[in-house]
Amino acid sequence: MADPLNILLDHKGFGAIYFDGRLRVMETSPAAQQLLSMTPTQSPLALITDIFPELVGIEDDLQQILAKQESVYHLEYVNRSDKQGQTRYLNLLLLACNEKDRALLVLEDATQTALALQAANQQRYDMYLYRTSIDHRRSQIGHSILGRSSAIEQIIQTVQRLSHVPSATVLLMGETGTGKNLTARMIHESSMAADAPFVEINCAALPEQLIEAELFGYEKGAFTHAVSAKPGLLEAAHGGTLFLDEIGELPLNMQAKLLSTIESKTFRRLGSTLQREVDVRIIAATNRDLKTEIAAKTFREDLFYRLNVVSITLPPLRQLGEDIATIGEHFIELLNIQFKKKVKGFSPGARNVLLAHHWPGNVRELSNCIERAMIFIDGDEIDLPDLVLMTPAASAANAGHQPWTVPSTGIELEEVERSLILSALEQADNNKSKAARLLGLTRHTLRYRMEKHGLEPR
Amino acid sequence: MGVLKRKICLLGTFAVGKTSLVQRFVNDRFSDKYLTTIGISVSKKLMPPVVCGETGDTAQHTFLIWDIAGLEKFDPVVMNYFRGASGALAIADLTRPETVDELAAIGNKFLSVNPKAALVTIGNKIDLMKDRTDTFSDYKRLAADFGSELILTSAKTGDRVEEAFQLLSQNIEMLHG
Repeated sequence: MADPLNILLDHKGFGAIYFDGRLRVMETSPAAQQLLSMTPTQSPLALITDIFPELVGIEDDLQQILAKQESVYHLEYVNRSDKQGQTRYLNLLLLACNEKDRALLVLEDATQTALALQAANQQRYDMYLYRTSIDHRRSQIGHSILGRSSAIEQIIQTVQRLSHVPSATVLLMGETGTGKNLTARMIHESSMAADAPFVEINCAALPEQLIEAELFGYEKGAFTHAVSAKPGLLEAAHGGTLFLDEIGELPLNMQAKLLSTIESKTFRRLGSTLQREVDVRIIAATNRDLKTEIAAKTFREDLFYRLNVVSITLPPLRQLGEDIATIGEHFIELLNIQFKKKVKGFSPGARNVLLAHHWPGNVRELSNCIERAMIFIDGDEIDLPDLVLMTPAASAANAGHQPWTVPSTGIELEEVERSLILSALEQADNNKSKAARLLGLTRHTLRYRMEKHGLEPR
Repeated sequence: MGVLKRKICLLGTFAVGKTSLVQRFVNDRFSDKYLTTIGISVSKKLMPPVVCGETGDTAQHTFLIWDIAGLEKFDPVVMNYFRGASGALAIADLTRPETVDELAAIGNKFLSVNPKAALVTIGNKIDLMKDRTDTFSDYKRLAADFGSELILTSAKTGDRVEEAFQLLSQNIEMLHG
């Protein structure tokens, strides 16, 4: 007569594996073979610890079970992945057998229970992480913008204050590449819930006819190709932040509509009469001087004052002194990971050149400069020849200045040099190291040239 | 030189990065998506040879790495997860200081089952820490309580992950070799 235990296990759909005192598998039930996706020929004489590495380390316990000193050993939700990547969860129960020198491992398929438990835990843990992650993000605000100069410290302080006022409108000003986008994201992340939307629109990137539809959305039939209704970016940003980059490029008629939306917190889709409510924080950014634009009547004064509740002016890179090297080292860290290199930093010469360069393209230019160096470098330090910088003339042109030219009446080169040294000293509050950096010289060379022009260092 | 199989447990509360560390170490993979582990998942990895401190002989381990679900209770079944382990990586999340206290409770339970096990304490997710002046004093204190080193890792970038497992292999050889 068949063993009642085997009949019971088979009836319940449980697998059974019998093994001996040398941990060799003696018998495997069809249900066990199915649970483990085994063919019968794989099992004889295999070790139970080969089939279940989960039993490695407890060989003494197994011997005790075989000697019937201990009756059970239980493991729950042992993960097994098949070739298709599907995970099956097994409960394991080790039992002593009536037969001498023989033990039984019972397998139960617990996949359904495990998946239900996983779904419940996932939801619970996600909720917990969602609640706690905002604390971490707030604590990291001061470290998302690199640098320790007073200008950077001031920005960090402002952003930290803004993290407690999630509704205040913010205007970011500064040259291109100074980090306006990064700052906008920091303001958003530090003040909003983790899943609050951050929606960005570049006002210069879309033609005038498209901006209104993109921003406010439209109803079916609002214009020729409006075959179905579409919500705009304003609605997509509901409960979060709408970042309007290059706001100075926004057409005048759109400026009026935006002002109305900010003031009333309502808007209408194109082709709709329905007034919709929206709750968004507006962050606007520009590299233009909006006051000049107001004077030229290309930017509405009332919108300027509505946006300018809190304004942050991001300093150009050339004004950040030692922070330039700190930001550069940060890029090296990131690119070391990307390119699998181990570059430690800059040589003293390269560092001096980085600090003295004008950086018309600001952080974007610095990033590109270092990425290029990292692509070609073989050593562990970026040196002068690795850096490819724009020439002063190209820099000046890029910065919006005219390249240097000699007037037809001629110049006194010595006098120009003297004037530039005086100007640099004045800008640097007579700090010779700073003045030397402004002129792209070493401190020693500056002292020599000052003596040459009778500008005796005091 | 034989290769010894060693059971290694990854300890720590949920979402500290246990599965990500195994994935990085064993498969050199990383995913940002958090998927909670249920029960136990065992991965194998042949470790590089280590030198025994006293004899100078070399030994080699195959690690059977137990990735254990974030533990919230310690019933007998959970204690079975720990039985027979030669060592453990005790993992806390650098972005969630509360995981240090939770790890202390889990680590002590583990040591009560395996008093002679080797431990290496890990502060994971260093890639998310921008503050380089942070001293991680709570994490260091816990590592000292466990009598172990503290290694700051990133499963995302792979930073110091191999080093942590190799140090554990070395410590196991010193204690059990």
